[in-house]
Amino acid sequence: MKKSVVTLFLAISLLIPVVTNAQKVVCKIKGSDTCLPLSQRFAEIYNKNNAGSGISVVGGGSGVGIAALLSGTTDIAQSSRKMKMDEKLKLQEGGKSVKEVIIAYDALAIIVHPSNPVSQLTREQLEGIFTGKLTNWKDVGGPDLKIIVYSRETSSGTYDFIKEHVMNKKNFTASALMMAATGAVVQSVSQTKGAIGYVGLAYVEKEVKALKVSYDKGKTYVAPNVSTAMSRKYPVTRPLYYYFTNTVEAKVKPLVSFILSKDGQNIVLAEGFVPLS
Amino acid sequence: MKHLFLLGTGILSVLASNLSAQESEVSALSSAVETLQSDNDVAKRLKISGYVQAQYQVADTAGVSSMAGGNFGTGIDNRFSVRRGRVKVAYTYENALAVMQFDITEKGLGIKDAYLSLTEPWLNALTLTGGVFNRPFGYEIEYSSSSRETPERSRMFQTLFPGERDLGAKLTLQAPKTSNWNFLKLDLGLLCGNGTNVETDNYKDFVAHLTANKVSKDERLKWGIGASYYNGGFAATTNRLYTTQTVSGIKAFVPETVNKNDKLKREYVGLEGQIGYDWALGITQVKAEYLTGTQPATASSSSSLTAANVSSTSTADITTGKVTTSNVGVDAYSRTFSGYYVYLIQDILQSPFQAVVKYDVYDPNTHVAGNQIGTTPLTGIATGATDIKYATLGVGLNYRFNSNVKIMAYYDMVKNETTTNIKKASTLADLSADRKDNVFTLRVQYKF
Repeated sequence: MKKSVVTLFLAISLLIPVVTNAQKVVCKIKGSDTCLPLSQRFAEIYNKNNAGSGISVVGGGSGVGIAALLSGTTDIAQSSRKMKMDEKLKLQEGGKSVKEVIIAYDALAIIVHPSNPVSQLTREQLEGIFTGKLTNWKDVGGPDLKIIVYSRETSSGTYDFIKEHVMNKKNFTASALMMAATGAVVQSVSQTKGAIGYVGLAYVEKEVKALKVSYDKGKTYVAPNVSTAMSRKYPVTRPLYYYFTNTVEAKVKPLVSFILSKDGQNIVLAEGFVPLS
Repeated sequence: MKHLFLLGTGILSVLASNLSAQESEVSALSSAVETLQSDNDVAKRLKISGYVQAQYQVADTAGVSSMAGGNFGTGIDNRFSVRRGRVKVAYTYENALAVMQFDITEKGLGIKDAYLSLTEPWLNALTLTGGVFNRPFGYEIEYSSSSRETPERSRMFQTLFPGERDLGAKLTLQAPKTSNWNFLKLDLGLLCGNGTNVETDNYKDFVAHLTANKVSKDERLKWGIGASYYNGGFAATTNRLYTTQTVSGIKAFVPETVNKNDKLKREYVGLEGQIGYDWALGITQVKAEYLTGTQPATASSSSSLTAANVSSTSTADITTGKVTTSNVGVDAYSRTFSGYYVYLIQDILQSPFQAVVKYDVYDPNTHVAGNQIGTTPLTGIATGATDIKYATLGVGLNYRFNSNVKIMAYYDMVKNETTTNIKKASTLADLSADRKDNVFTLRVQYKF
């Protein structure tokens, strides 16, 4: 009898952690790969500090997140671009209005292989490289090496941003290799000598080299980092957004308040993003 | 020692067995996921959508003629109806699309769309469409009835393009979304010009529609402009074509002699514009369109001629039994028309409510106005009720309950041009004063 009670107790003890670990997902965040590490960290800390909360975070690109918001399959769309007017109209057609919250800023870094001696480029040179007019590193003061352009897919908000702000709305070269995720861009650039790509600052690792960029035709070059982005000296910075509908506002408000709080913005800084103030 | 060895061997063999079982489970799971993924990819090619619009309407007068979903029956001034019951099936695979759309209402089953589209795979800029599809003319035709903020299209579109669809082929030129030229779109069509009826003549109608759409950098302002051109004709079914001419100071229809099967000119030009702005009061939209042109029609209607206007009679020879079918033609009346509409649509703050005001004008015969209409000429045929100009002011409120359900309350105030020459005892036919033909519509729509 005593043995049976002990066995039962042990069995129940083993089951308890399984039940408590299987937290119910109460809030879903989907979208921008740039925002992904930041949202994951927010979720991790928020879940830890708030018993019973379960926040799930998935990437895929800004366009994918906003499409999920339109179809009602996510609570929050994380995006590195502004929601389009047509997307707002679609939400309105469904009787929903959208709330926009800027959670942080991000500096967009231009990355190359660490062995590449080129360390700075002007916006015009970047436009030439990404559009395919400049095809060899020797055209911009580097070695005689073919330039291989890595880009994000068209559903990416980062793709939209670089096209708008760096490439003067011109198209990427047809030879650009389109990557499904930011991690894939970093990995490809780190493994290819003539490669160039673009990623959010938080994705810059030792395996790649971030270039200084000039937006005044070569007079001053600024390196991408949190400090230059905060001071707005680094020209390629952009806001990161959370979008949610009025129907889930009450549910997501505590999380959003946490993100906008001092603690939340400290996480922003720690993750390599630029806080709001 | 021996026991320890046996215990160790036992644990290792259990672990190895567990590992093997886990690997096998992972492999089975991967296989199942791959199968599901593959099935899902196939399922995603097929899309079924549709909507049902059930409505209740009240008219000012029983039996009134109306563009708000058709004329009211004799003695009837209120009605329930299923205005539209659409089911659309679309199958997309790679660069090809096939679409079938049906309309199922209390009136029966009708075919709305039946077409295929092929997009060239190199630039993804050129699409060829063939079958029955919306005529690529203007803005309002291609704007879905499920999204439209008012119950019906404007009077001019209902008259000139009844049913909106036609049979033919269309070439669409639009750069891919990644291109800076994506804001421009050109449609070029070659149509039977006979609605969704079978082809009855050798003439094909040409239609062109060029649009430009842009959005401001901050995604708050959106605008679009467009121009359309239609050039076609209808084969004459009699030897007479009436045109409006001045005879002894009176505007009247005077006949010209034409040959049967001569092409009767049908030519329209259209201009359109839309603007939307997202601001503190919600999204405000203004949409407008203007059309003018030449329309071959009949004495009793300015609606586009179709095969339905030609009736046929069959006679059988009593000795041979041979059946001869002959068409009974209809004299054509060519008119110069003009029309326009303006929508003002206001989302009310961030609420699911939307207010709409629409003003819509259609003048089927710009050569005559007011008391000139219906004046008896010395020669020719008098103009009549078909030549009356209409102006409709509509006001409405839409409640978007969710992405499926929309409730619409809309009131159409119809004002007709008056003429003392068409004074009748019946209020339905009397055009010496404004007819009492306003219509209130309460509609519930479910979209899926």
